[in-house]
Amino acid sequence: MKLEGEHVFNGPREDVWEMFYDPEVLASAVPGMDKLDVVAENEYEGVMNVRIGPVSGKFQGKLSLTDVVAPESLTLNVDGRGAPGFAKGVGKATFSEQLDGTTMLKYDGDMSIGGALASVGQRMIDSVAKSMIRTAFETLDKALEARLAAKKSGSEVVDFKAPTQTEFASNVAKDMVGGLTKVPEIRIILYIIPVVIVLVIVALLLGK
Amino acid sequence: MIYAAFKRSDFAHARILSIDTSEAEKLPGVIGVYTAKDFGDYIKPGPLQVPPPTAIKGSTYQVRTTLPIAIDKVRYSGEPVAIVLAESRYIAEDACDYIYLDVEPLPAVIDLEKALEPDSPLVHDDTTTNLAAHVVQERGNYAEAAAKADVVIKRKIHVDRVAGSALENRGMVVNWDERAQLMTIWCGSQSPITLRNQTAARLGLFENQVHVITPFTGGGFGPKINTSLPDDVLITYLAKKLGRPIKWLEDRRENFLSTTSERDQVHFAEIALTKDGIILGVKDVFIHNSGAYNPYMLTVPLNTQTHTVSNYRVPNFYTEIKMTWTNEMIVTPVRGAGRPQGVFVMERLLDAAAKELKMDPAEIRRKNLIQPDEYQVHTGIIGQDFVEGVLDSGDYPSSLAKTLDIIEYEKFRKEIQPRLRAEGKHVGIGICCFTEGTAVGPYEGAKVTVGSNGKVNVATGVASQGQAHFTTMAQIAADQLGVSYRDVNVTTGDTAAFAWGAGTFASRGITIAGTAVHLAAGKVRAKALELASKYLETPQEELEIADGVVRVADMPSKFITLGDLASRANPMRGTFPPGAEPGLEATAYYGPPYGATGAGAMAMIVDVDPETMAVKIDRLAIVHDCGTPVNPMIVEGQVHGGVQMGIGNAFFEKIHYDENGQLLTASFMDYLFPQATDMPAKMELGHVEVPSPLNPLGIKGVGEAGAIPTPAVFNQAVEDALYDTGVEILESNLSPSKIFTYVKKAKGK
Repeated sequence: MKLEGEHVFNGPREDVWEMFYDPEVLASAVPGMDKLDVVAENEYEGVMNVRIGPVSGKFQGKLSLTDVVAPESLTLNVDGRGAPGFAKGVGKATFSEQLDGTTMLKYDGDMSIGGALASVGQRMIDSVAKSMIRTAFETLDKALEARLAAKKSGSEVVDFKAPTQTEFASNVAKDMVGGLTKVPEIRIILYIIPVVIVLVIVALLLGK
Repeated sequence: MIYAAFKRSDFAHARILSIDTSEAEKLPGVIGVYTAKDFGDYIKPGPLQVPPPTAIKGSTYQVRTTLPIAIDKVRYSGEPVAIVLAESRYIAEDACDYIYLDVEPLPAVIDLEKALEPDSPLVHDDTTTNLAAHVVQERGNYAEAAAKADVVIKRKIHVDRVAGSALENRGMVVNWDERAQLMTIWCGSQSPITLRNQTAARLGLFENQVHVITPFTGGGFGPKINTSLPDDVLITYLAKKLGRPIKWLEDRRENFLSTTSERDQVHFAEIALTKDGIILGVKDVFIHNSGAYNPYMLTVPLNTQTHTVSNYRVPNFYTEIKMTWTNEMIVTPVRGAGRPQGVFVMERLLDAAAKELKMDPAEIRRKNLIQPDEYQVHTGIIGQDFVEGVLDSGDYPSSLAKTLDIIEYEKFRKEIQPRLRAEGKHVGIGICCFTEGTAVGPYEGAKVTVGSNGKVNVATGVASQGQAHFTTMAQIAADQLGVSYRDVNVTTGDTAAFAWGAGTFASRGITIAGTAVHLAAGKVRAKALELASKYLETPQEELEIADGVVRVADMPSKFITLGDLASRANPMRGTFPPGAEPGLEATAYYGPPYGATGAGAMAMIVDVDPETMAVKIDRLAIVHDCGTPVNPMIVEGQVHGGVQMGIGNAFFEKIHYDENGQLLTASFMDYLFPQATDMPAKMELGHVEVPSPLNPLGIKGVGEAGAIPTPAVFNQAVEDALYDTGVEILESNLSPSKIFTYVKKAKGK
């Protein structure tokens, strides 16, 4: 699958470049991205929840940046695998300064997708990819705006995205369970607990 | 009962680095997770399902049969790498998600032409080429014919892949009874006896320690002929090892990914003719995709070779198979089995020739058909049954004439089409001829038994997947035994009821097994007459068998029922004559010297929307000769079903792999299957009956007829409809967007 396009960021090239290098910003820009950890210089690992049509599941991904020519261009290498299949891609991004002080990002990439993602989700992949890219740029635009505003006011807190109540709640729940959810038994127990509670309540109600 | 699910590779071609099953094993409800190493020596390439082409001189081949589970390398996306057994299918499927397969991806072999280039990656590392087989057959001398010809036309033609798409997917329940030392397998299969034999051989059991039962099965269409596929190899082993019944049902995605499919071929074909349109010769070199393994050897491409020119007089014919491995699912027959490709190539060549010579497509065909007084015709080309193809009987010109008649060809060409074209409509007509090699050997058998209740039981080794064997075989037995077909019970596909046979394939069920039923019933009839003659004290010649009794022909009140005869044939006390066999029962076998060849012609009128390229089939006519039909209604049903499949092949269905070997059509969302509303508004059938001299009932098969010519007729009709674009479409499995692209190219845009 070919991915190519361009996007104009409303800010100077250095700031856009800097933002791209912040894994937290990158992670927040990708819908479903749970986390993105730095494992080495220009190497990240992350977990992403993917939902494409009837296919959904967790992806373990590696992201690396190569051919880095700051602040002009870089090559992104993505290698993700998980229950729903795999995705492997290489994309080149170039940042160029525009006369009006904005920055033009041009990207050109090739993605190969396999497993259920390809065999069942294929018809949806194009549109899902497009909507993911759009969402990502919307978030990045906001992030850039927030960063530029913070820079201007000299504030250190870069607050660009207030999570909603539900996101907040789900994040809290995730934090509570922490790494435990990786073990399948515990995951099942987590499903069973609410069921048991409901049953107990029902039994109590019926008892009355 | 416990349930199985397979962890399948997402990669088409990759080296396995590790398979981590530890997390999956911890999931509550999981009984076991097994990879290749857990099976030890049991994992080895399966048996060849079809022998190699040793009968064809000069042919070369390599054998790499199916591995039941990937060991160190995966060769197609969907190949199993682990099997999970669990208390429920849900748990088994979930556990598959916790199996971590680490691989080193390798470049996939997908493109048929590139697969045979010297620098192509290899599907099997221990070979030096992906060329799995090479076969050349020639009659006459094409090169000389081409040198003398007025015109030589060359085309590159591509036929794509389709799935069997049976309503019911594959599946099985396997039970091992330790006390009885008996394995019972309930499954949907076209070859229960082969499944039994191969399972027994693998597990070191006697054949009769494996009992295979195939109950009513929701469609076969070819892929269910396979045995020694990963599922039956692994599940039988585990059921015996654990001593617990195991159930596995394939889901649709698994069916698309890893049950077999067929058709993929690239042809480099040419035809040499005189300027009057007389064929001097045909040359066809083609690459046949065998998928990742080749357990089925050359059945499909040999069918292509035998069906390319069989109904026409082609004095010089050169045909060459290059069979290649690819990183795709295994290729074995799907209804049509190589025949549609051969017919597609020949008919497309004739269409190109007709255009070049400015001849009517019907006329060029009429000129070249084999005539009714020429049989038997020795083709000089060895077919899937490893003997020279012989056309046993037929009347091809009548089939063509009748088809043209039904579709009102002349009227359409001279009145209807010009009028509609004047109105701006794009309507076109196509006409093609075809043969259908059917009813090949080796043999089938049947046991016919009259019970003391006077009713008849017929048992045969073939399995039924909707062919109405219960009706047709009952009719055949009833005719011999003078009973109503309602009093005949037919048992198919139960290895305990009948233990010999090859299976349901190649449109052979009614011709081969049906003839065996006829012969066995004839023996029972003779037995009944002999016994009755003694009891009624009347010479056999004066007896008749009818209405469930044997009676004296001119004294109907003097009779004995078949039930009474059956009891008397099995005395419990007293004496029994030496040499006699008990019971009103007999077994017979039938094997033909070569297959009977059915044939026919098909015409189609289509209406194409030149903007969207949507194609509506207004009329379809097909005339078929299957010898003497046992039951005309069932023959029509077979033709209808075949046509539906043919229309699917022509315009809807296509198994699509991307360049990395990822299957992009693994559900009915992406694999378009024709609906009832896509069928022709008007479908008319005609029959030509030339009994086959090969069997006493004069039958030829008909199961694949409808599927064979349809893509060829469709392309011709669509080109005719789009006459003003000059488009030529040299591939099957079209779609509106594909036609659109062809038209754009034809217009030079």
